[in-house]
Amino acid sequence: MVRIFCEGSDDKTFLRLLLNDLKKSQNIIGQHNFDSIIKVMGGKSNLLDKKSYKTVNKQVGKQIKKVLFVFDCDFIEDDNICGGLENSIKAIEKLITTLDWKIEVDYYIFNKNLDYFIIDTIDKKENFLGCEECFELKELNKNRKILTCIYKSLYPKKPFDFSHPNFNELKHKLKKLFKEQK
Amino acid sequence: MSEHFIREIEIKNFKCFNDFKADGFGRVNLIGGKNNVGKTAFMEAIFLASDIKSIDSIDFINSFFVIETLREVLKSYSGEMLVLEIIKVFEKYQNIEIKTKDFYIHLEIQKDMLQDKFLINGKDSRVSRKLSNDFFINSYELWNFIPSYIIGNKLIFSIFNQIKKQRKKTQLNNILKQFDNNILEFEIIDNQPQVFLDSSQKFQNILELGHGLKRYIVIIASILINRDGFLFLDEIENGIHHSQLDKLWNIILTISKEQNVQVFATTHSEECIKALVTANKEDVKTYQPKEPILENNEIKFIELGIVDGKVDSIIFDFKELENEVEQNMEIRGW
Repeated sequence: MVRIFCEGSDDKTFLRLLLNDLKKSQNIIGQHNFDSIIKVMGGKSNLLDKKSYKTVNKQVGKQIKKVLFVFDCDFIEDDNICGGLENSIKAIEKLITTLDWKIEVDYYIFNKNLDYFIIDTIDKKENFLGCEECFELKELNKNRKILTCIYKSLYPKKPFDFSHPNFNELKHKLKKLFKEQK
Repeated sequence: MSEHFIREIEIKNFKCFNDFKADGFGRVNLIGGKNNVGKTAFMEAIFLASDIKSIDSIDFINSFFVIETLREVLKSYSGEMLVLEIIKVFEKYQNIEIKTKDFYIHLEIQKDMLQDKFLINGKDSRVSRKLSNDFFINSYELWNFIPSYIIGNKLIFSIFNQIKKQRKKTQLNNILKQFDNNILEFEIIDNQPQVFLDSSQKFQNILELGHGLKRYIVIIASILINRDGFLFLDEIENGIHHSQLDKLWNIILTISKEQNVQVFATTHSEECIKALVTANKEDVKTYQPKEPILENNEIKFIELGIVDGKVDSIIFDFKELENEVEQNMEIRGW
């Protein structure tokens, strides 16, 4: 069995949608209850803290045979220890070394955060960025959460464009995660 | 937690357990795992460790006959004859080893030219006996291992007899009413188990009321009569509607504490696992949070699975179980 560790419930929802899309396109084969393999860690600091994995340590090598961490790199100015891409990579690699699970472990880090990532892939991106500038949304919330909320409210039935090249790396890691799973 | 509880076990050469070790059991232990992984066999090994008091008397063989009978009854339901012979039982279980902190048994068969013998190695002693079928099961009454299949009247009578001997009839009826307020009383009348129903104001044979009712009466009664003992419930959810499971767990958790009973139960059901979590932390009538009935380490979930061809386990304490359940993680075996 595989396990995906993510920061929050929005990440879980997004990953579930992407996994279902991969299953629909037969890039993931077999019966999987995606909900039961994505674990929400309750924020980046918990996700990067070895103490959060007390229960998981018991399951690794038995129930859990492959792991993927998915999280945001965020902004260096907010956290100069694990903020920004470079620091995030250092932090996750240190965690993986510390945990020493001896199973296949990989990670995927969103550029800035999930909302940035999503806005980059939608149609009419320029319109949304114009909206962000016009209403000075960055001053309210630089994570672009407000923009993704607006997008989801305006287009509740419009799925994310998972064919966008920005999804390729994450899709590749997810396909690899489920490959040859016994 | 009580001194008599079994906290750990080592099992060798017993059914699907070639070399198995697990520790960290609590007061109430729910066991999950896929089909044929060995949930019932795991519970049977713990039953043997709890039931065999001494190897010095031949009576210890009763405990082996019990687990044989529990399985063989299924065959007898299908029309096959139920014949148990001591030699066959010993041959089946030769080389079995079960070890806990206070218990050890190892059965061996020693063949020589004159007479085959079986050797029983215990914690502090070693006994050698000639192989013989000249042994009959005494009227061995079992009231702490509730099988997964349909419960026969013999078991009900045996348990209810104990309820009366221990003067716990009122307590049983009060608890049954908590579980189902239509049931006012349980009684054996005309050699038939019957319940007095509030709705009809008369006794009715429980055979007419469904398998679930019989099952929860037996579960509740058996936990009441096993003070300072053990209770084993195979496929606890069988025949019981999922909406009643949290009430049943509420009763089991509460009485296991009052009666100082260690409980082992198996399940396949996600609803049953969720109901255990709910019952410990919420009021089962209002579903509002409450003080937990049992502490974190008193409730354990034991997940069984296979690693490199061998049975292995993961043991979750209550908070870990709660977190896994809240996040809908799969914990029913791998």
